[in-house]
Amino acid sequence: MTLALRHRAVPVSPLSRWDARWKLAALLTACAGLVSLRHSAPTACGFAAAMALVLLARLPWPLVRRWFAILASAVLPFLIVLPFTIEAAGPGLDLGPFHASERGLIVAATLALRCFAVGAIALVLVGSAPVHHTLAAAHRLGVPGVLVRLALLAYRYAFLLAEELHRLRIALRIRGFRARMNTRSYRTLGHVTGALLVRGSDRAEHVSEAMRCRGFDGSFHSLTGFRTSIADVLSFLAMLAGTITVILWDRS
Amino acid sequence: MGNSETLAPDSPLALRVSSLRHTYADGRAALNDLSFSIKAGECVAIVGPNGAGKTTLFLRLCGVLPGQLGQIAIADLDPANAAQRKKLPETVGVVFQNPDDQLFSPTVAEDVAFGPLNLGLDANTARTRVEEALDAVGLPHAGERVPFQLSGGEKRRAALAGVLAMRPSVFLLDEPTMFLDPRGRRELIGLIRSLPATKLIATHDLDLVLDCCRRVLILDNGQLVADGETETLLADATLMQQHGLEVPYRLRSPTRD
Repeated sequence: MTLALRHRAVPVSPLSRWDARWKLAALLTACAGLVSLRHSAPTACGFAAAMALVLLARLPWPLVRRWFAILASAVLPFLIVLPFTIEAAGPGLDLGPFHASERGLIVAATLALRCFAVGAIALVLVGSAPVHHTLAAAHRLGVPGVLVRLALLAYRYAFLLAEELHRLRIALRIRGFRARMNTRSYRTLGHVTGALLVRGSDRAEHVSEAMRCRGFDGSFHSLTGFRTSIADVLSFLAMLAGTITVILWDRS
Repeated sequence: MGNSETLAPDSPLALRVSSLRHTYADGRAALNDLSFSIKAGECVAIVGPNGAGKTTLFLRLCGVLPGQLGQIAIADLDPANAAQRKKLPETVGVVFQNPDDQLFSPTVAEDVAFGPLNLGLDANTARTRVEEALDAVGLPHAGERVPFQLSGGEKRRAALAGVLAMRPSVFLLDEPTMFLDPRGRRELIGLIRSLPATKLIATHDLDLVLDCCRRVLILDNGQLVADGETETLLADATLMQQHGLEVPYRLRSPTRD
C-alpha cells in the first residue's frame, strides 16, 4: 500500500522520555519567549538553543532538512523585500541599482532566525512524542476536549485523505489527464476537489454514527497516563530560566 | 451448517421490531411495516439486494436514525426514547461496513478503549478490556499500531475488538466479510461463530449465512419478504431470484448447472 503521508515512529531520546505535559508547557513557553525577541544576538542564541533541542530529540536529518526547507520558502519573501524597504536611505550594500540597508538586513536575519527557532521547537514537539500523547497532555493542561478530539481526528483522517487523493490522481492519469493551464484542467481539478470534499463529508457522517454507537457524549478520554519525575520538573525549570534569561537580555 | 445454537422455546427476546417504518428526507420509504423478533443467543442473517434497507434498519436499531416510540425494543431498550438510547452502547454493539469509519483513534489500543472509557470505566479497567478484546480477535500485539497500517482483515478485527470491549449482549454486523481475502474471511467467520451474544448479520455473503446463521430474514424494498430457516429459504430459487439474490453454490442441485 503506498501512502502519500507516512506515520513516523518516535526516536528514543531524552526528550521522548520527558513527561509530555511538562515538555509541552516548557516548549510553548520557549516559543512565546522566542516570538517576543527583537534583537539579533538574543534571537541567534534562541535559535542555537532550539537547534540543540533538535539534536537532543535525535530527529532524522532528512525530516529536519525538509522541514527547514518549507520554513525557508515561507521566510524567503521577507528576506528579499525587507533589506530594500527598511531604512532604505541608511548605510548598507549597493547591488546595482538597488540598495540593501544594513538595518533591513539585520531585521530580515532576525526574523528568519526567529522563524527557524520556533519551527525547530514545533518540530521537536511533534517529533519527540506520539501525537496522541502530546494532545492528551494538552488536554491535561486545559485545552478543551473537543479541540483535542478534533485534532486527533484530523491527524487520523489526513492519511486517508492523502490516500484518496492519490487514488484519484491515478484514476485521472490512467485516463490520459495531464494538468495544463486551461479551462478543462481547472474544471477537472475542481471536480476532484469537490469529490474529496463530498467523500470527506460522507465519511464524517459515518464516523459520527460510529462514535455515537460507542457512547460518545462529547467528552474526551484517553488511555495515556502521565507520571511526573524530578527530571521532568527540573527540565521545565531549566527551560523556563533559559527563556527568561534570553528575554531579559533582549530587553536590556 | 455451522452454528450450533440451541435455544429453548421460551428464551427471552433480545430484539423485537413491530411495524417499523422509516422514510428518507426525500419521501422515499426505506423501511415499510417491518415486524420480527429475535431470541437471546440467536444468530440471524438479513439478506437482500442493494437498497433493500439493511443498513437503514441497523441505523434505526442502534438509535442513530430517529424514529417513533414503541417500534423497536432491543435488549429491552427503545432507541426512540432519548434516555434509553444513552444506555444502548452498553448492550448493543455495531460493526459498520467500512472499518475506516470505525477506527478513528490514532492507535488501535486507543480505539478499542474508546467505548469502555465512554462507559465510565477507569483507565486500568479499560486497558484490561482492550487486552482481552485484542486477544479475542487475534491481534494481541496490535495495540500500539496505527489503524492505517493494518490490512483489511486486521482493520475489520480491530473494529470488532472495539465493540467487543464494551461487552454488548447484541451484535449488529453490517457486511462483516466485505473486502476480505479468503483467509481473512475464514478467520472472521470463526470469530463470529465464537461470539456468545445475539447476532444480527446483514450481508451479501450467502456462504457466511450458511456457516453462521440458522435463520434468515429476506428484505427487499424495505419490506420483510421472508423469515425462516436458512437452508430452506436460500435453496428456494424462485424466491431468491425474485428478490435479486441467488441460490448459494453449496445448495444448488447438480442438475441445475
